[in-house]
Amino acid sequence: MTPEVPVLLVEDDASDFRLIQRAFGKLDRPVPMIRLSNGDEVVDYLAGIAPYENRAVYPIPSLILLDIKLPRRSGFEVLEWIRKQRSGLKRLPVVMLTSSRHSADINRAYDLGANSYLAKPDTASKLGQLASLVQSYWFSCNENPDLADGIAMRGFQG
Amino acid sequence: MFRLLVNKVTDYAIFLLDPQGHVTSWNPGAERLKGYKADEIIGKHFSIFYTPADLAANKPARELQIASEHGSYEEEGWRVRKDGTRFWASVLITGIQDQGQLIGYGKIIRDLTERRQSDLRYRLLVEGVLDYAIFSMDATGHITSWNIGAQRIKGYQADEIIGKHFSVFYTPPDRERGLPDYVLKTAAEQGHFEGEGWRLRKDGTRFWASVVVTALRDEEGTLYGFSKVTRDMSDRKALLDELQRHAEELELRVREREESNAELEAFAYSVSHDLRAPLRAISGFSDALREDYASRLDEQGQEFLQEIIAAAARMNSLLQDLLDYGRVSRISLPLEPVRVVDAASQAAAQLSEAERKHLKMQIPTELVVRSHAQVLAQVIYNLLSNAFKFQTKGAMPEIRVVAEPRHAMVRLTVQDNGIGISPQHHERIWNVFERLHDRDAYPGTGIGLAIVKRAMGRMRGSYGVDSDMGKGSKFWIELPDAAQSNTAMEGT
Repeated sequence: MTPEVPVLLVEDDASDFRLIQRAFGKLDRPVPMIRLSNGDEVVDYLAGIAPYENRAVYPIPSLILLDIKLPRRSGFEVLEWIRKQRSGLKRLPVVMLTSSRHSADINRAYDLGANSYLAKPDTASKLGQLASLVQSYWFSCNENPDLADGIAMRGFQG
Repeated sequence: MFRLLVNKVTDYAIFLLDPQGHVTSWNPGAERLKGYKADEIIGKHFSIFYTPADLAANKPARELQIASEHGSYEEEGWRVRKDGTRFWASVLITGIQDQGQLIGYGKIIRDLTERRQSDLRYRLLVEGVLDYAIFSMDATGHITSWNIGAQRIKGYQADEIIGKHFSVFYTPPDRERGLPDYVLKTAAEQGHFEGEGWRLRKDGTRFWASVVVTALRDEEGTLYGFSKVTRDMSDRKALLDELQRHAEELELRVREREESNAELEAFAYSVSHDLRAPLRAISGFSDALREDYASRLDEQGQEFLQEIIAAAARMNSLLQDLLDYGRVSRISLPLEPVRVVDAASQAAAQLSEAERKHLKMQIPTELVVRSHAQVLAQVIYNLLSNAFKFQTKGAMPEIRVVAEPRHAMVRLTVQDNGIGISPQHHERIWNVFERLHDRDAYPGTGIGLAIVKRAMGRMRGSYGVDSDMGKGSKFWIELPDAAQSNTAMEGT
């Protein structure tokens, strides 16, 4: 099943972004993807703050692929912010996708409520496998939560 | 009645003199002390009891004169017995008057020879002590006696210092804050004062003194002075200061080390993240190029692309090995009992299935070493991958892993049938980036054995190799036998 709503990829490295985008784009059922490159943008996007107030153009994503090392707000801070929300947004599945294999980073991510932690593969073929696994796991196997709770109101107000 | 009492007294000589000094009465105590019977001595002049020196100084007459003028005379001094021997006497002479007229003297004498001797011995002892300044003071802190140790330590002769106040030994700041008074007050209240501090010598130089001041009280408890024992601890103080300095320096170094460890940690993090990002781009886009555009490249173009991919892969494993090496050097390695067979199995699991077919492991399950499970597995893996790497071309690899107890250690040996290493290289193969062969023949980063060396150093183990060209290699490591050290601990 292909997600109707896009995946939000938060990645500051343009090369990594293009390779990840390519990997997801090459899947049998490509995953639509929105890219943001720093932590502040993610918070603005999810909160529906300008220029992201139009939910028709900037919908709440079904999944967020989140790097740790980001300009301004780090991936950890973004994750913390998401889990602190009172609306259904707090349930947004967050998959860390990062080059760090540090146990300190891994543990912290789970402590803050990450749903999964993936290390960026070294080769394009491994990245392709990963993209395929992410798609089948999150969009075929996994039962995703209701994120609209409390958000729709806000979206319409905007 | 009074006479009866006096006649019973044997510890004191009690007798009377007439105004000129002739003996007029004699009690048993006097007989015992001086050796004369009453009939031998009555009527004799009392100067018979004095030493020739005292006689020459006209002492007997002077004593009577003082007693008549002041009412009494008191002293301690040598007196002579009938047999010519001397004794140390405490003497009290009292003038006896009748209606303003002197009618004679009463004399009470006590033999204090024994006390005198012990006093003397004590004084000689004190005077002879060189290592301690021992002196006495009156109740206000003025010095009344001075031993040779005091002279040596403080630099004053007895006649220079006796009569002076002991605060001269204190530094001006200590005097200003009233330390001398505090010392005496504490000693008076608590019996003694103990302390250490800087004191001054006569020449103004300082020394580090350990001081004990003891209050001296008479039988009725009245404070009549202080004794003070001072020891020059300058040497010990210097030693302690030196130790303190070393401790501080050590602390500083530990802090610096901790800081540099933190920097290394940050550096390693930066390497793993920042440095690998462009590398990931190189290999990722090379892969993409190969996958998406291979048909548009001629044979040489594809070869070049393959070179880029291979170089990026090599750099990636180099970075990974460097990070591993850094981690083994840096992270704390808590040591605990690890079953050798578990670590070896974990290492073998990282080999390819094809490789595992050529591996034979004979490790008794009871062998347990004091080690770090993960690092030990990595060490064994490095030895295994080394053994598989340096194989004779075309030959079937045979790798054997055995382990056995050896004294208080356990030795694990990885034996291969590979190309072998000539003994001249046995030292240098353990160094970082050391390679004996060009990369085309035997790929690798040259860090695997360096990690083994560093890890064994940090886990109190040892390592080595037995090998020669064409004869295969036996790489071994040794770690403390955990079973043995446990038994030893239980035994104590």
